[in-house]
Amino acid sequence: MDTENCFHCGNEIIKKDEILFDDKKFCCNGCKTVYEIFSQNDLSCYYDFQAAPGATPQDIQGKYDFLDNEEIVTKLLEFQENTTHIVSLYIPHIHCSSCIWILENLQKLQPGISTSQVNFGEKKVRVTYNPEKTSLKDIVYLLSSIGYEPYISLENFDEGKKKVDRSLIYKIGVAFFCFGNIMLLSFPEYFEVEEYWINQYRGFFRWLIFGLSLPSFIYSASGYYVSAWKSIKSRMLNIDIPIALGIIVMFVRSTVDIVFDYGQGFFDSMCGLVFFMLLGKLFQQKTYDFLSFERDYKSYFPIAITKVLPNGTEESVQVYDIEKGDRLLIRNQELIPVDGILISEKAAIDYSFVTGEAVQIEKKSGDKIFAGGKQLGKVIEMEVLFSVSQSYLTQLWSNDVFQKRVEQQHKTITDRISRYFTPALLALAVVSFIYWIFIDVQTAFNVFTAILIVACPCALALTAPFTLGNVLRILGNRKFYLKNALVVEQLAKVDTIVFDKTGTITTNKKTSITYEGQILNDFELKLLKNALRGSNHPLSRRLYDFIPNQQKIETISFEEVIGKGIFAKFEEGSVKLGSSQFLEHMSENTHKKTKVHVEINGVYKGSYVFNNQYRKGLEQLFEQLTPKYQLIVLSGDNDGERKILEKMLPKSTLLVFNQKPEQKLNYIEQLQSNGKNVMMIGDGLNDAGALAQSNIGISISENVNVFSPACDGILDASQFDKIAFFMKYSKNAMKTIYMSFGLSLLYNVVGLSFAVTGKLDPIVAAIIMPLSTITIVSFVTIMTNVFARSK
Amino acid sequence: MEKQQFYYDNKIVRNFIYASIVFGVVGMLVGLILAFLFLFPNLTSGVSFLSFGRLRPLHTNAVIFAFVGNAMFAGIYYSMQRLLKARMFSDLLSKIHFWGWQLIIVAAAISLPLGYSTSKEYAELEWPIDIAIALIWVVFGINMIGTIIKRRERHIYVAIWFYIATFVTVAVLHIFNSLELPVSLSGMKSYSIYAGVQDALVQWWYGHNAVAFFLTTPFLGMMYYFVPKVANRPVYSYRLSIIHFWSLIFIYIWAGPHHLLYTALPDWAQNLGVVFSVMLIAPSWGGMINGLLTLRGVWDKVRTDAVLKFFVVAITGYGMATFEGPMLSLKNVNAIAHFTDWIIAHVHVGALAWNGFLSFGMIYWLIPRMTKTKLFSEKLANFHFWIGTLGIILYSLPLYVAGFTQASMWKQFKPDGGALQYGNFLETVTEIMPMYWMRAVGGTLYLTGVIVLVYNVIRTVRQGSPVENELVEAPALAVISPNRLKGEKLHSWLERKPVQFMLLTTVAILIGGLIQILPTILVKSNIPTISSVKPYTPLELQGRDLYIREGCVGCHSQMVRPFRSEVERYGDYSKAGEFVYDHPFLWGSKRTGPDLAREGVKGKPFNGGRDDVWHFNHMYDPQGLNEKSIMPRYQWLIKNELDNSTIQDKMRTMVTLGVPYTEADINNALKHMDEQASKIEANLLANPDIKKSFGGNTTSKLKDREIVALIAYLQRLGTDTQVKK
Amino acid sequence: MSVIYLLITISIIVAVLFLGAFIKAVKSGQYDDDYTPSVRMLFDDELVKENSNKLIQTEKQKQKSI
Repeated sequence: MDTENCFHCGNEIIKKDEILFDDKKFCCNGCKTVYEIFSQNDLSCYYDFQAAPGATPQDIQGKYDFLDNEEIVTKLLEFQENTTHIVSLYIPHIHCSSCIWILENLQKLQPGISTSQVNFGEKKVRVTYNPEKTSLKDIVYLLSSIGYEPYISLENFDEGKKKVDRSLIYKIGVAFFCFGNIMLLSFPEYFEVEEYWINQYRGFFRWLIFGLSLPSFIYSASGYYVSAWKSIKSRMLNIDIPIALGIIVMFVRSTVDIVFDYGQGFFDSMCGLVFFMLLGKLFQQKTYDFLSFERDYKSYFPIAITKVLPNGTEESVQVYDIEKGDRLLIRNQELIPVDGILISEKAAIDYSFVTGEAVQIEKKSGDKIFAGGKQLGKVIEMEVLFSVSQSYLTQLWSNDVFQKRVEQQHKTITDRISRYFTPALLALAVVSFIYWIFIDVQTAFNVFTAILIVACPCALALTAPFTLGNVLRILGNRKFYLKNALVVEQLAKVDTIVFDKTGTITTNKKTSITYEGQILNDFELKLLKNALRGSNHPLSRRLYDFIPNQQKIETISFEEVIGKGIFAKFEEGSVKLGSSQFLEHMSENTHKKTKVHVEINGVYKGSYVFNNQYRKGLEQLFEQLTPKYQLIVLSGDNDGERKILEKMLPKSTLLVFNQKPEQKLNYIEQLQSNGKNVMMIGDGLNDAGALAQSNIGISISENVNVFSPACDGILDASQFDKIAFFMKYSKNAMKTIYMSFGLSLLYNVVGLSFAVTGKLDPIVAAIIMPLSTITIVSFVTIMTNVFARSK
Repeated sequence: MEKQQFYYDNKIVRNFIYASIVFGVVGMLVGLILAFLFLFPNLTSGVSFLSFGRLRPLHTNAVIFAFVGNAMFAGIYYSMQRLLKARMFSDLLSKIHFWGWQLIIVAAAISLPLGYSTSKEYAELEWPIDIAIALIWVVFGINMIGTIIKRRERHIYVAIWFYIATFVTVAVLHIFNSLELPVSLSGMKSYSIYAGVQDALVQWWYGHNAVAFFLTTPFLGMMYYFVPKVANRPVYSYRLSIIHFWSLIFIYIWAGPHHLLYTALPDWAQNLGVVFSVMLIAPSWGGMINGLLTLRGVWDKVRTDAVLKFFVVAITGYGMATFEGPMLSLKNVNAIAHFTDWIIAHVHVGALAWNGFLSFGMIYWLIPRMTKTKLFSEKLANFHFWIGTLGIILYSLPLYVAGFTQASMWKQFKPDGGALQYGNFLETVTEIMPMYWMRAVGGTLYLTGVIVLVYNVIRTVRQGSPVENELVEAPALAVISPNRLKGEKLHSWLERKPVQFMLLTTVAILIGGLIQILPTILVKSNIPTISSVKPYTPLELQGRDLYIREGCVGCHSQMVRPFRSEVERYGDYSKAGEFVYDHPFLWGSKRTGPDLAREGVKGKPFNGGRDDVWHFNHMYDPQGLNEKSIMPRYQWLIKNELDNSTIQDKMRTMVTLGVPYTEADINNALKHMDEQASKIEANLLANPDIKKSFGGNTTSKLKDREIVALIAYLQRLGTDTQVKK
Repeated sequence: MSVIYLLITISIIVAVLFLGAFIKAVKSGQYDDDYTPSVRMLFDDELVKENSNKLIQTEKQKQKSI
């Protein structure tokens, strides 16, 4: 096990700051400390289940002070009573057996904790502790100290105790039970027409079957009656109408049959039908518990913030309680919750989270700072201008897209089919009823009911759920997580794809630095590097790291003009670097790119360009997409990169720059008003509006565990270049559905031919029903997998 | 609330393991003796309690209930404590369970060789032992449920569910199949309350589910615990295992009737059995695949680790058996396989591979853990694995061939299509003798492996330091809802303990059900009665009980299936109506010898026309009549005097069960017996040789010997429905 | 054959019981998390444990994973 990876977190160890501790290598002190904690409490098995499972603990000084605030804690708790508190914490880092093990052994690390139970699927740990012995804050600190920092946000703050709905499972259980036993009891009659034994027990069997069918008919199938009724009221014929009709008719007809001893009835088929269709429902319910598709600003904002009282004392208040005029304390890495005015004399704020723009912005005392920015550097003080709800960023959410979205009615493919299917079916039933009534009333009724029974579109109803469910799974395995099955249908309809620029088609991870101008020699580089050493400006820091190591020399004078540049003097000479204005050097459209110009001993040398990096496979992706889709790039920043993009991307691609969040939203809206089906791919809060407005909003994310705005799907950044395939796949999925619709209709025809001629034996029904189901299910499963393989 | 320290009870686990090993060796040894009795019929000649008929049930019972049973309890007691993070509910109950169970086994080991048998397969034990089993089983149940209730882990792992299912279902099956009426409370003898077809149906409803819920579900539970544990990785799909359990539980119960295809059982019941047996393949294979896939990624470990090897073969064996099962329940396959050694091979794949190897793997893993040491010798364990596997192959393959060969010979007609090719049953037996030899070898190898295990275990325990109580620490189960603490009514208290709730309802409903249902069974049942079918005469009844005592049913069926070949060979096929007075039914499940349903009928081409003298000589020295015969001698039947003391009680019992004996019949029983016996005696003494040896004034008259009663019964078989010429 | 009244009744009773058990289990949230339990059961809570062989096998695992 002699490798250069950290024993705790598995990261590459940078040779110089490698730490050796009982002959294990660690990448940093944090990791080592965690290891120490574990080994001291003889929890070192942590490393047994999985090699290097840990994460480096982050410094969270003061971050969770708000947990001292009683009412906040109370709100977070799941269950509370004098000696027992239970809290569920979301921990993004949960990813392996070791995580489960250590988190379920918390009681060994903290006396007050009695149990802790992990839910791997939801990446949550449920801690039961004794508030007299320990506190939520201690627990959170403990977790953070061992690299499992929980994520606590406004979201969990006002989410109530959400009720899990398990009714579908019950229904399936009951349906399966009834189905199985009725099958059993039906066999006698399948096999024996007239046989001594059967005559003995016919009554017993039939009534037992009747009894067994009740739970399935009344309880399991209830969902279909409800939805059928709803759709009748809303005047849109959905698939559940013929289904509900079929079930009811089956039941009534069967009951009549056994009461008047006409036959054994169709209870078996009925229960089978109910069971299989519920199964389909279940299959479609693929959910990614650890992802949330419904995030709004709440999930980004801290629950509470430190407020400075006039008398100088600090207290943590809930974000909602922040009022105009309050003075707030914002720590390093903390999010600015409201718009306000900077009071400390300067601050670097990273808005990447709002704008996607990678570069930090310098603010001076008195500048306006906006909610959503992340404060970097030492603690700052600010005065509040607007409360959370009125702040610039959060305004976005008051836009009605976020409300109307919820009950956005979308017609599923199945419903559209059934618009024709249902009337046709009814018509057929009535016609043949009328036809027979002149021949024989008895048969007329039989035929009428038989038609409704056979045509009961079980297979039809199953097609979409199974196909889409399977597609959902396959996409999920390829790190493209869709909110639900409907999205797949939507995906297939898209004709316009809108990309956000920064963070979407570019990675906001690392941006490369290039130098333009005359080459700098080592001496000049040395001056440059030493000049940079003094500055704290983010660009300076990046440039400093970029320039190779140089020997250190003393500065004579050093002056930094905030937001402009640096002027440094040395024995050997002077260096001036910064914006073009600062250097009074007007080169061509300099302001369009993020540049740092360099002047040494009064001679303009050139400039360092900070250009964003585009995701790999971008060109090919756009190539593949242009033929079929209208492509648009929608960017929040200046059109500095227009040229590069135009070079890279196909002509037809539309490039739109300088779009404020709400402008993006409107842009999409406008596209839609021109009858476009828009898919928006974006990241960051600034796209939230657009994502919500578009027919499908896909948010792209470097790490699916950290947060993405409300959307219909989350795409792992690594899969960016596969988008074209996903689009094609969704189309194929729909093809599959149409094909199997054909199949199931075929079955219906076969069944109907029996029904119309009045020759439908229960046995026939009992065979056709499962047969059709099985064919359909296996067909769609195979097809979806085939398409998935064909790249 | 706070974390608690407590001890896991390893002692009880260890005891069960030891018991399992000891009885395993015994049971397999008996099996081996039986295997050799095929080759040397008179190996144990003259020793009544070592005769084939009596040892066979001993073998099955020893292996199923003693070897597998104890292993299963060991596995359950070990895994349950750990899965529920709690010591067993009560050490006392654990002890009672352990010693009670061993006592039952000993009782079985004594009573079966002595001929106390109900002749119902896997339920041969007589009524007092049946009661004991029921009681001990309940003790086990209470102990298990108690543990579940006081558990420290909220989630009930899927294995536990399998255990619960085992408990509930086996209890129900055992009780209802063992419903029998003792002849007298002083004696062991009892009669099944069901007759003929009904008895057959109940028996195989039990018989199959015994396999399902005694040999399968607990071992599936153990698979879901030990395989992940040993491989140290979670089961391939936990969701699948949950589905596996519930779907299995909802349909397993139905498969029974496939043991009675082509019998006098109503066709619909047969078809029922077929369909559900076929459906069973889905859940079974789901489970198997889940088990095997759990080992994905550790195949390198499998290569080195004996325990995992055992598991792999065990699971594969389960897969094969559960694939073969549905196949065998297909009517056309069953028509060939039934009554042949194919079935023997089938069950042994299950027993030797699935149950045996899973147990061995578990033992090899548990013993070192509980003695805090390493296994004495991995090498020996691996040796055991290989020789065991070889044993299984050598055991089963030949028997498949044997079964198929014999079946096709039975059905073979002469080219002209007229008569049977192999009219003499014996020809079909001699044909497969080589296979029987190989089987014996396979069995020997397997047993050798087990003996190696014994040595390995002893050495391991010696070098280790047994930990009888393992100190562990786990937090108590946290409170979930505040209303729990509020004063609650009894019912909600029950609901909080679902298992307990379930148990109580079972008892309640079963009692309710019984009260309503039993009467309808005890009264004369509505089978289409054949007027010519009459109850057995007292002497025949005695003979029948001898037939049961000697376990003749182990080798001779009494069920002619409606195939031309069988009708040709044995006579008219059997009808349900013939068995209305048969408590219990004696259809049998294996034809090592020919079917006897029509034994009494004269003038049949092959086995007909056997007179009393023939039977007499046949019992005395079968090889005397045909030196190739593998029928063992039953000479003690000729020596022993028939015990008639209980005959009237027997008849009264039969009356209670609906057999129409009149008071007169009962009172004149002895007189009537004497008359019938004298006739047979006369026939026998007509033979000079017999007259020479038994004619003289011997201690007891020939007519008072057991043989006479048996002959009377044999000569009665099939005569009721015989067409009178 | 009246015995089938008995058998079917029993069988159905048993089935019903298990159905009940099933619903109870689901209700009590037994199956809300269908992954973690399968991992949890791998952990031993013995206080005196023989780490020796465990660690060895860990090393093996690491070689693999690296």
